[in-house]
Amino acid sequence: MSSVPLFVAVNTFRESVRDRVLYNLIFFALLMMAAAVLVGQISIGIERLVIINLGLSAISLLGLVMSVFIGVGLVYKEIEKRTLYSILAKPVRRWEFLAGKYLGLLLTLAINTALMTLGLFLALLYVDRAIGRADAHILLAVYFILLEFALVTALALFFSCFSTPILSTLYTLGLYVAGMFASDLRDAGALSSSGAVKAVTSVLYYALPNFSNFNVIGATAHGDPIPISLVWQNTAYAAIYILALLLAASAVFSNRNLK
Amino acid sequence: MVASARSKQIWLATLGVPLLLLSLYPLQQSIAEKKESIAEQQQELLLRSGKLLKKLSLGYDSLLADIYWTRTVQYNGGILERGESDFSLLAPLLDVTTDLDPRLDVAYQYGAIFLSEKVPAGAGRPDQATALVRKGIALNPTNWRLYYNLGFVYYWYLRDYKQASQTFWEGSKVPGALPWMGAMAAHIAETGGSRDTSRFMWSQIYESTQDVTVRANALAHLQVLRTQDDLDLLKTFIETYKKRTGHAPTSVQDLANAGLLLSVPQDPGGYVYVLDANGEPAVDPQSPMAERVRDWSGRK
Repeated sequence: MSSVPLFVAVNTFRESVRDRVLYNLIFFALLMMAAAVLVGQISIGIERLVIINLGLSAISLLGLVMSVFIGVGLVYKEIEKRTLYSILAKPVRRWEFLAGKYLGLLLTLAINTALMTLGLFLALLYVDRAIGRADAHILLAVYFILLEFALVTALALFFSCFSTPILSTLYTLGLYVAGMFASDLRDAGALSSSGAVKAVTSVLYYALPNFSNFNVIGATAHGDPIPISLVWQNTAYAAIYILALLLAASAVFSNRNLK
Repeated sequence: MVASARSKQIWLATLGVPLLLLSLYPLQQSIAEKKESIAEQQQELLLRSGKLLKKLSLGYDSLLADIYWTRTVQYNGGILERGESDFSLLAPLLDVTTDLDPRLDVAYQYGAIFLSEKVPAGAGRPDQATALVRKGIALNPTNWRLYYNLGFVYYWYLRDYKQASQTFWEGSKVPGALPWMGAMAAHIAETGGSRDTSRFMWSQIYESTQDVTVRANALAHLQVLRTQDDLDLLKTFIETYKKRTGHAPTSVQDLANAGLLLSVPQDPGGYVYVLDANGEPAVDPQSPMAERVRDWSGRK
């Protein structure tokens, strides 16, 4: 197996780390954890609930911002700076370049998420004075959030192969929102008397990336156990969808005229 | 030369920026005072549909629920602190909060009490309280504590002992319900309202909640019940005194002098009990307990 994607990934990770925006976002997320502790003082009796809700939401929202805004520039920046040509002049295939870019951003997101999760656990430790086995389900929620990032990044990368950053952002965010409403679309279609509407909404439900699959923040805050079957199902769902997007991105990028 | 100009700028900024920021302090105080003197802005709840907010939250409904819960507590606490009487947003805020997070138990308990309490201690709307808790029960049928909250509203605020007993009975059948739920249902069905039952219920609320406002409210009710107990006890001592001496006491001190009391008892507000114009034991009019006992007199 070629190690070129890994080299590109490590380089992408280094570039992302140099980007000061990431530090600000991490700082902001950690600030939100501290705010959660303060808010918990007001909502006595539900401090833990508030901290977990605010902490996981901060990790999710800020990671989403990173995924979209960095993801849409992954390919475009290289084209604009003309560095892509020197990279591809080396024995680097276009799909290897894409895979490396994707993995590099994913690595950045994973490390940032780990740091923010550490902040969340520190906030919980401050409130509860102990971290127990019951808190392990928070890690599952974080894992699902990471799956969400992986899917959003794949979307952003796909659009960045043929579109400008602004349009790619709009398309990615648009699909994210549509994906969050996928269930509602299906339910709305089911209420319709038109067979065509039913069919279209049903197709859309299955075709759109269903981001609500990964949302277990509320359940985690209430301490509900997450079924293990959901873990591997969501993992499989994300992996298949990401693979499809990366294949499509690779096909588009391979046929793109870079002159 | 360029270096000295830069160095001057740095010194100017180092001294100037903190001074300028410090100068904002009195200015901000003045602005805040002026704003307070202007008629207070009416609080608005622009989006009253919790279901719509849930859709718009894009999966962050739990976080939004916490934000609305915090807003509810601030809203109610602010009204109680200022001694105002307009609680019109309390029910909608609680409704939105529980739409966003139907499992936020504390919101149902809070609503049961503060929607039911008479103005100015609450909204004076036990009908809104029952609607809120019934919604909670529909969404959380395995939560026996919600039946307790509902039963309490029927018992204490609506004095509908039949409905209260029925509610406690339904709650007692929920798996995990504490055994006294059934006993409570039977006791209320048999005796209606009683001070012991009320004391037990308020004690349960006091011990089970960590919300400061709810605890303070429960404590106030427990203190009124204790005061009523004290007054009843003083009545029996007065009767004993009359039988012994042939005349009524002129003050509570007479009872202590006659050896019926170890000392002159005080109410929970720290004031000694007095005798009213009819020779009946009463709370000192100066005591903070006087108004509460008057407002809640007749309740058991």
